[in-house]
Amino acid sequence: MDFRLGAKAEEVKREIRAFLAENFSEADRKAAAEDGGGHDWALYRKLAANGWVSAGWPKEYGGGDRDPYEILTLYWELCKAGFPWIGLLNNGFIGHTLMAMGTDFHREEFVPKIASGEIAFALGYSEPGSGSDVAGARTMATRDGDDWIIDGQKMWTTTAHTAQYIFMLTRTSTQDRPHRGLTLFLVPTDAEGVDVQAIHTMGGERSNGVYLTQVRIPDSHRVGEVDKGWSVVRFALGLEQAMGYSDIHERFIENAGRWSLQSGADGQRPFDDGRVREQLAQTAIHAEVSRLLRHRSTWLAAEGMELGAKGAMTKSFSGTAYLEDAQRWMDLVGPAGLMKEGEDGALAEGNFDEAFRQTPVNTIYGGTVEILRSLVAEVELGLPKSR
Amino acid sequence: MDLSLDESQQILVDTFSEMLEKECPTTHVREHEEVGFSPTLWSQYCELGAQVMGLPESVEGLDMSLLELGLVATQSGLALAPVPFLEVATAGRLLAAVNPEDPLLGAIVAGQPAVSLALPRPHAISGTASAAGGRVLVPFGTVADAVIALDGDTLYVAEGADKRRTARVQDLGSSALAHWDLDLSDGARVLATGPEAQRAMTRATAEWKLLAGFWLTGIARRALTIGADYAKERVQFGVPIGGFQAIAHPLAECSIRTDGAELLCHEAAWADEADPARFEMLASMAFTWASQTAIRTADTSLHTHGGYGFSTEYDIQLFYRRARALSSVGGGAQEELQTVAQLCFDPDGSCEADSLLGGPR
Repeated sequence: MDFRLGAKAEEVKREIRAFLAENFSEADRKAAAEDGGGHDWALYRKLAANGWVSAGWPKEYGGGDRDPYEILTLYWELCKAGFPWIGLLNNGFIGHTLMAMGTDFHREEFVPKIASGEIAFALGYSEPGSGSDVAGARTMATRDGDDWIIDGQKMWTTTAHTAQYIFMLTRTSTQDRPHRGLTLFLVPTDAEGVDVQAIHTMGGERSNGVYLTQVRIPDSHRVGEVDKGWSVVRFALGLEQAMGYSDIHERFIENAGRWSLQSGADGQRPFDDGRVREQLAQTAIHAEVSRLLRHRSTWLAAEGMELGAKGAMTKSFSGTAYLEDAQRWMDLVGPAGLMKEGEDGALAEGNFDEAFRQTPVNTIYGGTVEILRSLVAEVELGLPKSR
Repeated sequence: MDLSLDESQQILVDTFSEMLEKECPTTHVREHEEVGFSPTLWSQYCELGAQVMGLPESVEGLDMSLLELGLVATQSGLALAPVPFLEVATAGRLLAAVNPEDPLLGAIVAGQPAVSLALPRPHAISGTASAAGGRVLVPFGTVADAVIALDGDTLYVAEGADKRRTARVQDLGSSALAHWDLDLSDGARVLATGPEAQRAMTRATAEWKLLAGFWLTGIARRALTIGADYAKERVQFGVPIGGFQAIAHPLAECSIRTDGAELLCHEAAWADEADPARFEMLASMAFTWASQTAIRTADTSLHTHGGYGFSTEYDIQLFYRRARALSSVGGGAQEELQTVAQLCFDPDGSCEADSLLGGPR
């Protein structure tokens, strides 16, 4: 038994920390938090230039052939540092998906450009009428000669306002059961008929709604077979669910811990209060369990073993535990917890406010906790399918 | 990274699993509810070497690690085995560390449930504390001949059960509790004094808590299986109740938390040798989380059963009571959070931020 991520992951940690020290200033961090778009082209291209965008891909596609522990470490360090990394994450997923399920054209045309930081993708699954029921998508793609015409609307298309493409789930058939009539396309955001509108969120993240009116896409931009898009989506979602939020949960407990050890104006430390110690301990345990579940998912992936619902377990626990901690801390620390970073007297660099604002979405996007628990019940406990 | 058991560890698990399936069905547990101890089952444990597994070879031990001891504890928890495995294992290791010539070690090796220990400060609520000196509730104090305790900075053995064991008591979880008079001045045999004594007891307590964490994880795992099996069989409104999210989701959540408890116990046991600076902190976390998880899981599973879960006829109530009891014997999760906080954030009282969570990451 060995719980260490290994020497290569340690090396990645050193490299990324050095990269951040050189390229990501405190001003950059604040700007990223203020912007909330999750993607910054200047920073992203620096990452790409250092090979980090394609770090997890095989060498034959120009990737770094990094193992899952190294990739975990890459995301972990960026996330803890407050780096706008959503674009990186999406493009890693899309790259993997195109390599596994795309055509030669996709692998030659798109994959190298993703690696070099030239282009980026947003994920277009959700719609106004379909969230958890991903297969209920109603955005229609209709054949027109060698092209497809897309009409409909997408929701929660984060980074669509900065990306060149949307990895888009569409309906190509209404004849069979819902998940059998789906097809994936790579839709350019500058195509005629694509209209990206901002959606602002309580957590400061900026997402988008995307309106699609008679958007013409060549058939070469289709990923996977017609009407077989469900398997492509499941592949891409599987990559996402294995992660969770243990990195920012760890940042949160470190900040809370440091704050609790400083003496206040009255000479007392928050740590001297038994209620604070209790909440610190519970948060530390949650963060540790969350990290272990994520490490287990990573280990299973690295060993090529069956993931089962272990990825769902990781995300489900991580989302709920961090949310619960953020809410309990806010109740504990009183009015000074209400201020965000930069306000006079804000606690722990505003981390209590930040976590309280940001954590509600953790149990929602990328698979709601309700969907994930059903998956765990079915796969891990053998219970009947439940809706 | 490698989170799997090696071949010999898997054999160990299988050996105890098979033995317990045969020798310790819940009918056996029920037969020993009143005393909380099964001499026949303990002799089966000793035939497999359980009493010496964690002792060094120099005292006829098998020199196994805390992980191996923990694996046996988990199997014991799965079966609710009424045996003093935790107490004998940790008291034996403590004796081997501070006094390898101790005659009590011979009794342990010979298979007697000879020694238990008084866990320091198991609870801080006024009126419940059982600090050494005076009457102390001792797990498996009903069968032990001697109890190891710490008073201030003196580590000692209180021997003479006739004189010191003042009462055997019945408790919620058949924990074989007895009151012992552990007064240090009353002819107790001193094992160590000063920092060495405190270190030895801190170490033994951490080991007991970690192994109790493994045991509680076993309780949680079996409670989960019982609940899930019932949810598949029980039909209401024409369908198995496991198809209702109100039943399925709480069980799924317990399944996740139980996996977390297992991982945390394994990590703590691994850290004993590989990351010793974090061992004590992780052991304390493991006890807390496994307590919370076992209690929650047994509760969820009991309620999955509806009214039947409340009847003595169904086994889940055995798990519900024992999950709570074993946690309480160690002081309880809420109390342990205070220890976790100290070990995570201020282990040496220096308030140095770089010692957060066991050191730099």
